[in-house]
Amino acid sequence: MSSNIAPAQVELTIPCQPEYVAVARLAMSGIASRMHFTYEQIEDLRLAVGELCTLSVEWANKNNRQEARIVLRTEISSNKLTVDILDTAGPRHCGEGTGRDVEEENLAQLLITLLVDEAEVIPQPDGTLVRMVKYVGQR
Amino acid sequence: MWASDRSWKLESNQANGWSEQEVAEELFRQYKKTGNSEYRERLVELHKNLVSYLAGKFANRGEPIEDLIQVGMIGLINAIDRFDPDRGIKFSTYATPTIVGEIRRYFRDKAWSLKVPRRLQELNQAASKIAEELTQKLGHPPTIREVAERLGATEEETIEAMELGSAYEAVSLDSTLEQEDDSTLSLGEFVGGVDVSLENIETHGDVKRAIERLDPREKAIIYYRFFRNMSQTEVAKRLGISQMHVSRLQQRALRKLREILTE
Repeated sequence: MSSNIAPAQVELTIPCQPEYVAVARLAMSGIASRMHFTYEQIEDLRLAVGELCTLSVEWANKNNRQEARIVLRTEISSNKLTVDILDTAGPRHCGEGTGRDVEEENLAQLLITLLVDEAEVIPQPDGTLVRMVKYVGQR
Repeated sequence: MWASDRSWKLESNQANGWSEQEVAEELFRQYKKTGNSEYRERLVELHKNLVSYLAGKFANRGEPIEDLIQVGMIGLINAIDRFDPDRGIKFSTYATPTIVGEIRRYFRDKAWSLKVPRRLQELNQAASKIAEELTQKLGHPPTIREVAERLGATEEETIEAMELGSAYEAVSLDSTLEQEDDSTLSLGEFVGGVDVSLENIETHGDVKRAIERLDPREKAIIYYRFFRNMSQTEVAKRLGISQMHVSRLQQRALRKLREILTE
């Protein structure tokens, strides 16, 4: 492996269904392994992607969007990895549903912010985009 | 809907009609006021499912979940001691970073000698062994699902172990290898170095004479490959033929040499 990572983009589209979450997680570890991340950092990224995809699946369920898809888009550069999780699972009406659901969702989002260096939720017309950044060499 | 293994909830104590939230708030108020560790114990009990939930997220990284729950509990206790119920933030929100921080620190401090994830290494070895056995038994290479079933792992873990496991595999140079005659040698003794006899091959009369009986192109390939240490691709470039062609010619040349030398 060379010490300098050439910039690249990798994109994966999966159905917004629970059985495909593992595919996204595997892709994430494959991509992160190509960069100079430690094993723990790779696992963190994988966990974050798994959590986000699961959230997307939940919302697709709530919004009755069987056709929804998730795009995992990664931007590889020499010092950081940007990971976008974009779904077409419809709007997320926070505060809706039971208290427990909201609580779990908040907890999952809180967990993600602890796993990556930057995380931002950007609502989209047809779903949600979550952008995460993880820097190489930081712990 | 959340899968059951993901869910967590506060231990409920709703006999008195209070919500979990209210019970927790009251306990915190009492604990902060009196410092009585009994309240703290009840708060730990009340929130231990939060720890299990978070520890579960970090399972499968090669450490037993029980250990992760233990360190998570330390985080929980610290969070209970530091939490200020009057600040208006929910305890789970406050405690999660502390608990996760404690769990992640545990992984960090657990310095693996070679930074090799043991789980993957073991899984990789087990997977290849099972794949071999199943190939024999089924008469065809097994599917990932078949291997995963035998392994007692998920398909995702199995794929990962097979894909990445070999890259992580590191073997000590001092590890011993069984010999056919029951003697043992360390792996290090098998690692090649510069072989003096190979360096002298050029002066080896028999080989030299044998090489002279090859046709010019074979001779060139043998020369470039074995006396100049060029790769097949480099030789191909130099001779203006394909690497496949070089490979075929080299095989033929070596076969000829072997025949000549055994004459």
